[in-house]
Amino acid sequence: MTRYIIQRLIYMVITMFLIATLTFFLMKFLPGTPLSAADKLSEEQQAVVLEKYGLNDPVPVQYFNYMTNLVQGDLGISFQFDNREVTTIIMERIGPSMQLGVQAMFIGTIIGILLGLTSAIYHNGMLDYSSTFLAVLGQSIPSFVFAGLLQFFIGVKLGWLPVALWEGWEYSILPTISLAIFPIAIAARFMRTEMLEVMGSDYIVTARAKGVNKFGVVFKHGFRNALIPLITVLGPLAVGLMTGTLVIENIFAVPGIGEQFVKAINMNDFPIIMGTTLLIAFLFIFIILVIDLLYGVIDPRIRLAEGE
Amino acid sequence: MKKTNWLLLVLALVLSMFLAACSGGSDDTSNSTDDAETEDTSSEDDAAAGDSEQVLNITDSAEIPTMDASLATDAVAFQWLGSTTDGLYRLGENAQPEPGIAKDHEVSEDGLTWTFNLREDAVWSNGDPVTANDFVFAWQRAVNPDTGSEYGPYMMGGIIKNAQAIVDGEVPVEELGVKAEDDHTLVVELEKPVPYFESLTTFGTFLPMNQAFVEEHGDQYALEADTLLSNGPFVLTEWNHGEGWTLEKNEDYWDAENVKLEKINVKVVKETSTAVNLYDTGEIDRAGLSAEFVDQYRTSDDFVIDEEPTLFYLKMNQENEVLANVNARKAIQMVIDRQAMVDVILNNGSIPSAGHIPQNFTKHPETEEDFRELNGDLIETNVEKAQELWAKAKEELGQDEIELGYLGGDTEVALNMDAYIKDQLEQLEGLTVKVQSVPFKERLARDEAMDYDIQNSGWGPDYIDPNTFLNMFVTDGGNNKTGYSSEEYDGLIEKANTELAQKPVERFETFLEAEKMLIQEDAVLAPLYQRAKARLWKPYVKGVIAQPMGPDFTYKYAYIEGK
Amino acid sequence: MDNQKPSKDLFVPVETKETEIDKISRPSLSFWQDSFIRLRKNIGAMIGLAVLVVLALLAAFGPYMTEYGQYEQDLSRAKMPPKVEGLGWLGMDGMLSDVQSADTVEQAKTKAMMRFNNQEEYITTEVLNDGSNGEAAEVKATYDVYAAKNMDENFWFGTDGLGRDQWTRTWMGTRVSLYIAFLAAAIDMLIGVAYGGISAYYGGRVDNYMQRFIEILVGIPNLVLIILMILILEPGIMSITIALAISGWISMARIVRGQILKLKNQEFVLASRTLGAKDSRILQKHLIPNTLGLIIINTMFSIPSAIFFEAFLSFIGLGLPTPMASLGTLIDAGFDSLQIYPHILLFPAIIISLIMIAFNVLADGLRDAFDPKMRE
Repeated sequence: MTRYIIQRLIYMVITMFLIATLTFFLMKFLPGTPLSAADKLSEEQQAVVLEKYGLNDPVPVQYFNYMTNLVQGDLGISFQFDNREVTTIIMERIGPSMQLGVQAMFIGTIIGILLGLTSAIYHNGMLDYSSTFLAVLGQSIPSFVFAGLLQFFIGVKLGWLPVALWEGWEYSILPTISLAIFPIAIAARFMRTEMLEVMGSDYIVTARAKGVNKFGVVFKHGFRNALIPLITVLGPLAVGLMTGTLVIENIFAVPGIGEQFVKAINMNDFPIIMGTTLLIAFLFIFIILVIDLLYGVIDPRIRLAEGE
Repeated sequence: MKKTNWLLLVLALVLSMFLAACSGGSDDTSNSTDDAETEDTSSEDDAAAGDSEQVLNITDSAEIPTMDASLATDAVAFQWLGSTTDGLYRLGENAQPEPGIAKDHEVSEDGLTWTFNLREDAVWSNGDPVTANDFVFAWQRAVNPDTGSEYGPYMMGGIIKNAQAIVDGEVPVEELGVKAEDDHTLVVELEKPVPYFESLTTFGTFLPMNQAFVEEHGDQYALEADTLLSNGPFVLTEWNHGEGWTLEKNEDYWDAENVKLEKINVKVVKETSTAVNLYDTGEIDRAGLSAEFVDQYRTSDDFVIDEEPTLFYLKMNQENEVLANVNARKAIQMVIDRQAMVDVILNNGSIPSAGHIPQNFTKHPETEEDFRELNGDLIETNVEKAQELWAKAKEELGQDEIELGYLGGDTEVALNMDAYIKDQLEQLEGLTVKVQSVPFKERLARDEAMDYDIQNSGWGPDYIDPNTFLNMFVTDGGNNKTGYSSEEYDGLIEKANTELAQKPVERFETFLEAEKMLIQEDAVLAPLYQRAKARLWKPYVKGVIAQPMGPDFTYKYAYIEGK
Repeated sequence: MDNQKPSKDLFVPVETKETEIDKISRPSLSFWQDSFIRLRKNIGAMIGLAVLVVLALLAAFGPYMTEYGQYEQDLSRAKMPPKVEGLGWLGMDGMLSDVQSADTVEQAKTKAMMRFNNQEEYITTEVLNDGSNGEAAEVKATYDVYAAKNMDENFWFGTDGLGRDQWTRTWMGTRVSLYIAFLAAAIDMLIGVAYGGISAYYGGRVDNYMQRFIEILVGIPNLVLIILMILILEPGIMSITIALAISGWISMARIVRGQILKLKNQEFVLASRTLGAKDSRILQKHLIPNTLGLIIINTMFSIPSAIFFEAFLSFIGLGLPTPMASLGTLIDAGFDSLQIYPHILLFPAIIISLIMIAFNVLADGLRDAFDPKMRE
């Protein structure tokens, strides 16, 4: 097991290295420079600005410098916010996004699993239909429409919760709910499908025949088996939510990373695009590793590593 | 094995509990802020009994990109620089410059030397006095090639003596035509007489900087609230980059007695609907409105329309064979129904423009008549005539089917408007318009490379003078980028800025002539509209002055009454 | 437990003739026939299928049912509310209404009139609250837009901000969204299933390399990819297609892999292998059918993600070029007028939701139909 983890960690470094290299050269293909209004600058001045960002060197040298700095945790300085370090900017912005993402995943998974379990236990009953309907609905309404409605009715009309902004925990409730809708729907649907499948399998039937009650079977045997596909989907989804969703962040005026990323793309702010890309990539790879390890924990029949 | 596996699972669970606890932790801290808030509101209640609390809550659509005056390039930066820093002059009511750090000034007879007498009671927020050297330092820094300023060379080049040469690296920075005669006398030498120089000194790039402080902080200068100095009405006390910032009254400000507002809270809010909802719940005191919301709030008492001297127009690239034809350009000018466009699509008080100088911007120096009124409508909407001109153009070109690219913005309004303009242009027989919607910066880049056929573009003034609009289109002008080149037009602009520089009436009339030539004869641009902004303002906010250039608003004289 | 022993009388041997031992009592059905029969019995799934067919037909023919083109503008008829003869009770009566409040009834009335440009002959007002009880006076004004603009034709879904017919645009948009939906499903089915299946089944080194490749793909955000596409091609349906093709199948591949990892060491697979089945047979006959439920469910999830991905791209200005319509761009454009002209948002939103719900119900039916364990 340990050998396997070490092996995976080494692969992780290699993958990150490849992603960093790939994005670096992709960025070099994109047009645009840190000069927002180049026409206003003389040649000399343009040279100075390019120098400041190290863009005067030949591309291989730039690449070497970038990688060396990257290893030391230095992602360079932003094009759009003069002199501000990309690392600082990302750190400032990642907090709210992470908080919203974790909260939404937490709530989403729990509610989703409960809905899915209810559906599976009362298969083809009223409860099944209504919870399936809820899940389908949650998945069918675009999140920004839902967010807009929540904001208008709960925030403005009823005045129960803050409309927008980011000044305390209660400000995170509406965006969390808006974000949680999708994980709820996904978790509920996957849970239902898997549980129905598991419940039909021989060992469950045996357990039932031996007199274990319905709920006992569900929790002891079914649940664990249904987790495999669930974590496979929810893992990457969690990364997606934690690294920010532009639309929700915009509607609730949350100072998160998603909005920052899109703006960086619009502004050709390559250092921020690269920094955020690497962060997202790292989280994805890390989560995938965790999921692969969890496979073995949840279902001992699964063997991943070679020779084990 | 099985046990350790379960341990791992438990560990994962504990981890998630921990995460939950983390958010619980922030719950606690937020409770404390919550308490602070309730305290706030209670004091607010107390205040309401007597005077209203002098706090203004507003939003901005983007975070401040920089607070370094030499590096600032956009409206948000200039807004908050202007609120925290006084330059030689500042923009007051009716866009008239009023004394800032300068008490008054003398201009030499040839108009080339300006001597500013600075006030002695102005201090920086760290206690240092504001001296003439602060201006010398800041201006030298702005043109110094090592700073990498974009606006420095643009605003000062060709105006302040030696600025362009310094920018080009030909002479050392010390040669810039600005000297501190003593601590409170600043002497500026110009390349040529610049009648609007007083207005120019209110612009952000001309703000002073405290040399010792800037050098002490080096790279870190103006990155955070505590690496900033203020000498103006407000101090930036808190700066949470993506979220918002807080300004508080500067008690050491030389004119502190005229500043009534104690605090300005600014939040970054991008969605119009979010801002409107915040406004409706009373969280903020101002909200900008889009066309849809104007319908809803037009009857509200809070509804205000602020006219701006910002013009929008279609730029036509004359390197394109079709657009090189003057009849084709005239047809494009005439075919668009601009009235319907401002009424329905913009719906915010914008007015159709028919020239390249906005209305209520400059007046004739003697008769006081508005520039726009004097020159009148230089184009009309006339589809039939447009068709005739277009047919003529097609004949001259020998083409029947014509396809033109159209470069537009990517905002909701821009998308709508560009779809409309495409439809209007395609009334011209045989014309197909292909719209490309790109982000603002991308559009600037393509403009720079002249990589477009037709472009929806806008321009706001940098100073109050027709020159800011008209000198754009001289041959090879930095912002021309249409390929337009007319010796006659160049001659008019050159004349206005040199031999007529000190003859205001003739100069003004030369500009009138130049505008006619630009729009009517040569049809370089197809004017669209002059922008206005529809906003909701809480009636208890008083004394905020909307500005045509530089900062959007002056908050120095703002106050809250009757909240 | 004191179970009574059943009496032996209950067990009577079936009388079978020697010749009938090998007789199969039910007709032999292939996997697909059997699935189809079961699908037909599932009412929900059939309704879902019917809704999809109707939507597809409307997408195909709807735009030709009115005389307006999808790009045909007329600002004088901008933002017209929907009007259908006989559906007035549904709110599709071509009226706009608004409630204005002020200190007195008169003021409120003036405001209400002003709200609709003072075209008095077309406005009816109704006092909701005369303000006598100390509250603000409220007046509701109803404005007959069609009469005021002297329109004879009706816009069934109303018009948008440029006076374009929403009916035509909505169905044109549905075409685009359905195309994206089928594209996403196809990519998932073809690339995702194959990739995940191969990776998990062969395992070891193959799995390792294939998964590292996925990590690299996942690591580069979609947005960066699409920007590259836009630089190479032009913004439009082609660049969205390619961006989806590059990254749309990854989640499916991972799910299939997870499931097959779980299945491949189970007894029935082992048994089949011991009996000499080839890899392709084991994949096709055992592993894929047992994963089918998940595959279908996940496909149904990638369809909304793909449709919303397109909407998101429109939202940040990288989607379809104006004036083309997709349900995403229509919803996006309607979002700003949600509070005042809800019809601009409403119809595209209802249709996008209908598409999703129909796909989901159908998917559930398919899952049940394909599940070998549910076979009767």
